Formats: sequence, structure tokens, C-alpha cells
Amino acid sequence: MSQWLEQVIDAAQISDYLAPVRQQALEKLKADGWPARRNESWRFTPLTPVEKREAKQAVQADSLPVPAIDNLNAIDLVFVDGVLVTQVNTLDVPAGMSITSLNNDDAATQQAISSVYGQVKPTRHMFGLVNDALCQHGIFINVEAGAKVDTPVRIVNMSSQNVDAHTRVVVKVAEGASATVIEQGFGDTESLTTAFAEYDLADDAHLEHYRFAMFTGKAKQLGGSHFKLHNRTTLNSTMVGYGSELSRLDVDIHHAGEFADAKMNAIYLLAEGELFDLHSTIEHAMPNGTTEENARGIVGDKARAVFNGRIHIHRDAQKTLAELNNRNLLLSRRGVINTKPELEIYADDVKCAHGATVAEIEEESLYYMLTRGISRSKALVMLNFGFIQELINDVPNTAVREWLAPILSERFAQMEVK
Amino acid sequence: MLSIKNLHASVEEKNIIKGLNLDVKPGEVHAIMGPNGAGKSTLGYVLSGRDGYEVSEGEATFNGKDLLELEVEERAREGLFLAFQYPVEIPGVSNMEFMKESVNAMREQRGEEPLTAAEFLKKAKEACKQVQLPLDFLKRGVNEGFSGGEKKRNEIMQMILLEPKLCILDESDSGLDVDALQVVADGVNSQRDGERSFIVVTHYQRLLDYIKPDFVHILADGKIVKSGDASLALEVEKSGYAFLGKAYEEAEA
Repeated sequence: MSQWLEQVIDAAQISDYLAPVRQQALEKLKADGWPARRNESWRFTPLTPVEKREAKQAVQADSLPVPAIDNLNAIDLVFVDGVLVTQVNTLDVPAGMSITSLNNDDAATQQAISSVYGQVKPTRHMFGLVNDALCQHGIFINVEAGAKVDTPVRIVNMSSQNVDAHTRVVVKVAEGASATVIEQGFGDTESLTTAFAEYDLADDAHLEHYRFAMFTGKAKQLGGSHFKLHNRTTLNSTMVGYGSELSRLDVDIHHAGEFADAKMNAIYLLAEGELFDLHSTIEHAMPNGTTEENARGIVGDKARAVFNGRIHIHRDAQKTLAELNNRNLLLSRRGVINTKPELEIYADDVKCAHGATVAEIEEESLYYMLTRGISRSKALVMLNFGFIQELINDVPNTAVREWLAPILSERFAQMEVK
Repeated sequence: MLSIKNLHASVEEKNIIKGLNLDVKPGEVHAIMGPNGAGKSTLGYVLSGRDGYEVSEGEATFNGKDLLELEVEERAREGLFLAFQYPVEIPGVSNMEFMKESVNAMREQRGEEPLTAAEFLKKAKEACKQVQLPLDFLKRGVNEGFSGGEKKRNEIMQMILLEPKLCILDESDSGLDVDALQVVADGVNSQRDGERSFIVVTHYQRLLDYIKPDFVHILADGKIVKSGDASLALEVEKSGYAFLGKAYEEAEA
């Protein structure tokens, strides 16, 4: 057992309407204990930066300026050091949508939250259980049946001091409704953030989703986005990961209805010495579902990327179409990529494909471009950023796309080839 | 323009250039001939600054600057152009984007405004026509799926667009039929303006029928062993490299 986990278990005594879920999570944490070194889920991602940490949460936090996404007219909800600093009840929320704090006294709202909290996210994620037990600051977004909400909701996690932050987002999109949710996290100071989001998407609902896991440096992030899809639900998700001392993102997409369509594009750009780990699991439990997942990353010197992409097609999930692809570029011999696409198929009438590739810099192409006077950084971007640019071009929201393209190409241009 | 003194260079610790001297003045055309393995292509790579080509001794100045101190892209921006013997295919980067980027890098060096896409397109189309490549080659990936002759013409097109001060043509004639050779030679000759200099590296005299050299040098075992005027090339054509000694006859066989 680690000192940190022991302190987490000791601290977890919150007696609110979520207590039953919190208690279950706590029991499982106690029973499972700290993951052994050989634990498959953490095999390439050492938890040493957390193991001996002091588990301490912020009591309060000051509001910090949040960098804008130009031309994006979004509703911003901000957590600083795990504390919700936005006055939720003063927000101007579009018709058909409601946004409430997880701390509320309304029985119906509590009931709605309880139907999702800890219900969409599988219990195998240790830090998800920690979040279940300890999270005191969270928000609930509810979109009523048929409501087409164009205004994106942006949820920002920022870290500014050396504490543990546990934040939660619970989203219910009802029948035929649509919404856009952006989860964004950043900070580089010594800190730990567990930010988990659960999405319950009803029949014919549509969700446009973004997760920008941009913590760097000493900021440890252990988070997840988890989705439950029903009949004809469509999900379009774009994720961007930077690396830090310890960065892990778990994604689960559960096809619990027929004809659901999930598209997920993930990009990771890891600068020197950074670690980023993306674990995704797609459960096809029902027939006629579609999944397309593209994860593409560039790994800098002494950086490490871990990708584990699992697609599980259950016996009844006939006519499933599922594709999973992971492409990587290594900028240095000292960079490491551990990639593992997994297909597990129990139905006999499905179409599935998966693949993973790791490439290195083409020295000859680079030399050729340099002899034409093109700068090294520009040549590297032209040669190697195309496969990332393709996913950026795929971002449905124009403002987000135009914000993302330059910051990612800039980050790449600053990564050194060694 | 270019002054090389006692240049020694190696690749993977193997000495290839062993004390080479060469002076190129503005407007001159120098042909460098020699048997296989003499170091002809290595010279181009060393002058362009390719990684892995180590200079152990000697100097090379280009327009008064120490060439060997400059990065590959800086040498190019100073006006050094290398036409590759085997141009590199770069799928995923369009020829157009590639050339626009390089032309604008040169313009930036000269303190000029970058060309707009429309301005560049106009120039590129003219150059494309000049080397008789179909216009859709601009849209294709750099050299992607081009035939050997098309790649060589693409090199000449780049040379025309980049307006360099010194062009090193590394066997730009190899693998070309007579018509393609004429196109390449015409492209080169169109760029001769009394200021721009050329180093034409070739195995055969044939190209020199089209591009008249002022000087011909024979490179053997990493040094220039004989220099003369255009007639030296004809001599080589007639009697091969036999005068260099037995070892080279075998290399030729």
C-alpha cells in the first residue's frame, strides 16, 4: 500500500447523497490496494510520483484568469486546485440546458446525478474510484429531450499549488438532444489532478466532445472521459494529450444501444522527458454499432507514450463496424512508445480492423528540404506534422480547430530531434 | 565565388576527398569528370553540408564566407544549389508547397516580401513549362512517382525558381534520353547570365556537348588530377580514364 492511498482512504468520509457510491469505491480501493509493479494497467506507467505523495486537498482557491479560445463563445466553468470557482447559479445558460453544482439540495437533481455518477465509468480505474470517494467539487450538465444546444460548455481544470484536485463532470443528454462539451486541463506546477467525466447519452442524442489534457511539467494528471451510448447516439470526440511527469487518460465508450456511432480522434505531442498514457476501451454490447478511433502521436527525446486501445465486441453485437488505428513518430532513439491495440471479438458477423505503426524522422527527406533553404523546424513540420494536421482538420468546431492548429504546430516545432 | 583549398573529407571514417583544390569565379562553368568512386557525389554533399560528411582538413569559402561553418539551409540561402543525382521522394508534401516554402526562404534572406500563393503559382507555372513538365506535377507529392527524367527536370525547375549563385549539378544527365537531356541542358543554359556559376559533375562527356564548360577537371581518388579546357572531356570520351593508371581501368570495367 502506498502512503498516498492510505491517506486517501483515511480522508474519505463524505456523507452526502452520493455516499453509497463513495462507500463502494472506498471498499474496492481497500480491497485492491496499490497496483503491483506488474499490474497490466500500469505496466509502462510507473506510479512512483504518486506513491509517497501526501494526500491533501485545497480548502479554497482563488479564481485565476483562464486563457480564452479565440472566437469561441462558450460557457466557462473553472476549477482551480479542485475547487469550483465559477458561480454556477449566475451563468447564462441556453434554453433546454441546465448546469448545477454536484452540491445541491434538489432531490430530483440529486437523483439524476446519482443515475450517472459512478454508473458510466467502469470501476476498474483506480483513480476513478479515488475520485468517486473524494470528489467534492463537480458539475452536472443536463440537456433536455430535443434541445439542440449550440453553445459549447467548457470545463477548465487548473492547478496552481501542490495539492490533490478531484473534480467531476456529470452529463446527461436526453433523447434527440445535442451538446458540445470541452474538458480542458492545464498547469505545470507540482500537483495532482484526477478529473473524471461521465456522459450518459440517450437515444438519438449527439455529443461533440473535446478533452485537452494539457498538464505538463510536475503536474500529474490521472483522468478519464467515459461515455454510455444508446440507440442511434452519435459521439464525436477529439482528445489532445501533452505529457508530464505522469499523465494518464482513460476513455471508455460503451455501446449500450443499437446503431450508435462513435468517432474518436486522439493526438499526443510529447516534449522532452514527458510521459503520456492513453488507455481506451470500446465496448460493443449491442448490434449495428460503429466505432472509428484514430490515435496519433509524436514523441520527443526521452519521452514516453503509452497507448492501449481495446475494442471488445460482445456475442450479440453483430454487424459492428470498428476500426482502431495508432500511428506514432519518434523524434529520438531515446524516446519510447508502447502501443497495444487489442481486438476481442465474440460475434461472427462484424468488420474490424486495427493497426499500429511507429516511424522515425526521414533524414534524407529532411536533408533534401534543408538544401532548398527551408529551415529545420519548418521542414520538420512539413515532413512530419501532416498526419497530426489531418486530425486537426477533422475537428468539427471551427474556433477550436483554428485555436488548436497553431499551438500544436508550435509545440511540435519546439520539440528537438536528437 | 567558391574557393576550395586542400579539402579532406570522410564518410563513416572512410577518407573520400583527399586534398581537393578548386576555384570557381562568377559566370564560370566547371565540369568535374572522373571514374566511379572518385568522390564526385561526395564533393556535392560535403559542400552542401550533409550530415555524416566530415571535413577533417582544408577550407571552402563561398562569397567570402566560411562555407563549412554554415548549416545546410544557410548554405542554400547564401545561394548554393545542389541538383541531386537521386532526388528524394517526399509523399505528403506537395511539390508546390515545397517550392513555395524554399523560394520564400530565399526571398526572406534577400530581405524581400514572401510571394503570395497566386504570385508563386504564376512563376511556378512558367518554370514548369520551361522544363516541359505537366502542370499537375506541381500538385503531386515532391518527386512522388516521378520517372528518373521527371525528377531531374524537377531539380532544374527548382534551380530556375531559386535563382542560386552557384549550382552544383550532380550527374543531372544520368538516366536521361537525348530529348530529356536537351531539356535539362536548355534549362541550365537559360540560367547562364555571366554571374551565375556552375559545377557540372558528370561521368560522361555527352552532357558537355550541350552545356559548354569553361574548365574540365578530372577527379580521381579524392583529388583533381588533371585540369584543362573542354577538349579534355573529349579526350576522356575517346580513351577513357586509362591515363589515370591501371586501378581506374578496372573500376571502369
